[in-house]
Amino acid sequence: MTNIAGAGSAPDEVDGRSVATDTKDGDKPAKFVPGQPDMWAFVLFETLLFTSYWVVYLIFRTQNHELFLQSQADLDLRIGVFNTIVLLSSSWSVARCVQASREGRFRAALTNAFLTIFFGFVFLVSKMFEWIKEIQMGNTFTTNEFFQHYYFLTSIHFLHVLIGFVVMGVVVYQLWSPARRSQQLVETGATYWHTVDFLWVPIFALLYVVR
Amino acid sequence: MSAATTETVAPRESPSGSPLHRFVWHCRHNPKRELWFAWWAMVTFYNLFVVSFFVLARAQPPPSPAVDAQGAAQWFTDNHYGVLVGMGIIFLVIGLLIAPTNALIAYSMRRMSVSRSFAYSYLAMYALSAIPGMLLLCIVLTVGAMRPDRDPELIYWLYDLAFLSFTGTMGVFLIGSLVWMVAILLDKNRVFPKWFAYLNLANALTEVVVAPAWIFKNHVFGWNGLIAWWIDMVVFGIYTGVFIMLLRKMIEREDFGTGPLPGPLPGPLQELAPSKEHDPSELTRTAP
Repeated sequence: MTNIAGAGSAPDEVDGRSVATDTKDGDKPAKFVPGQPDMWAFVLFETLLFTSYWVVYLIFRTQNHELFLQSQADLDLRIGVFNTIVLLSSSWSVARCVQASREGRFRAALTNAFLTIFFGFVFLVSKMFEWIKEIQMGNTFTTNEFFQHYYFLTSIHFLHVLIGFVVMGVVVYQLWSPARRSQQLVETGATYWHTVDFLWVPIFALLYVVR
Repeated sequence: MSAATTETVAPRESPSGSPLHRFVWHCRHNPKRELWFAWWAMVTFYNLFVVSFFVLARAQPPPSPAVDAQGAAQWFTDNHYGVLVGMGIIFLVIGLLIAPTNALIAYSMRRMSVSRSFAYSYLAMYALSAIPGMLLLCIVLTVGAMRPDRDPELIYWLYDLAFLSFTGTMGVFLIGSLVWMVAILLDKNRVFPKWFAYLNLANALTEVVVAPAWIFKNHVFGWNGLIAWWIDMVVFGIYTGVFIMLLRKMIEREDFGTGPLPGPLPGPLQELAPSKEHDPSELTRTAP
């Protein structure tokens, strides 16, 4: 997965220097974004897409307010909070991974990449635990409108987390060997992971918190 | 389009005279004539698709999945001639237009630095997915329209079959999108910008959400639902428009070589990248 095409990655030491130079020249606005700009296009597009899902949810919520409130009471807020904390922790570790990689500390970067994968895994397990709990309570995909949205939003996000493991696999692969270590690809992967975390926060707010 | 063709191909002798004369000249001498034919076939197909499905047959946006047998029979009565004419157009042109369309997309993957198996997988999957994903609807709606005297219960069954197969079978299309995405991400010949790979992923992810159409008949997840159809169709429309333009750029840049495609990558994102210029030292650094 070495990236030569398009906006190619610069060698690490050059990258390290260019980052340092940019922070020094404060008057010169930074002309680039972390990672591939292409990934930021994806971030914007996915955000728009999820916003449309949230708008649909809110429209149907206003039409059936009582039902949504009653069904929401069946969700365990504690699991939602736990999910959120775990994902925010994974964002923290992936940010540390990028920082360490920028500074050339690849051992620490790898540790943080694995920590991110671990947090992601904890999220998946707790999500499945929550689904099983809901199904045992009799709340399935077909129970009512609220649970249709609940299962839809949580599973489409779950799918994004699964893709996140592939992305983090690419990051680990890049960091593993001195022959690769494309800082651009590491930052691209981190951007994806942050997006998945950030998409969770409104889902959490809409499904668990909004009354 | 013949004007653009003239510019990019840089013919040895510049054709002059009437548009018809120039067109004939390009048909005989333009080295990219097959590619341009495939591109125009693609544009024509998607235009005819909109006319047939949206305007004539009224099969898109899909009618409600919540009707009863009488409602389904009534739909066939209301759209009798539209279905026959619209689907007739599709039957007439599908072979001529779909084959070059898929071939051009497969060609884009053959032009990349990736294994040929990407192009072959894509061709196989798109040839397969068009059957449940489009042709079955055409056949079944035509059957319903040609047999108005049948029991409404049977017509109702055809109605369900047509729209469920059309909306509910995006799985193979989805994998095709992912194959294209991986090919673009691995490609070193700069055939497409990387953001198009990610747009493939976004398109594939919206094709996942049509699956609930098999279970629900409501306004969100049914086959005509806000999430299962409307949002999906908007994304697919954007995706299709984008790949038609990118394939056009690819044909314009094509040099029939095996190395990187000449010319800048399409799209406004390149100037946001840390290094605008491709650094040749990377090739030696990253070469195995």
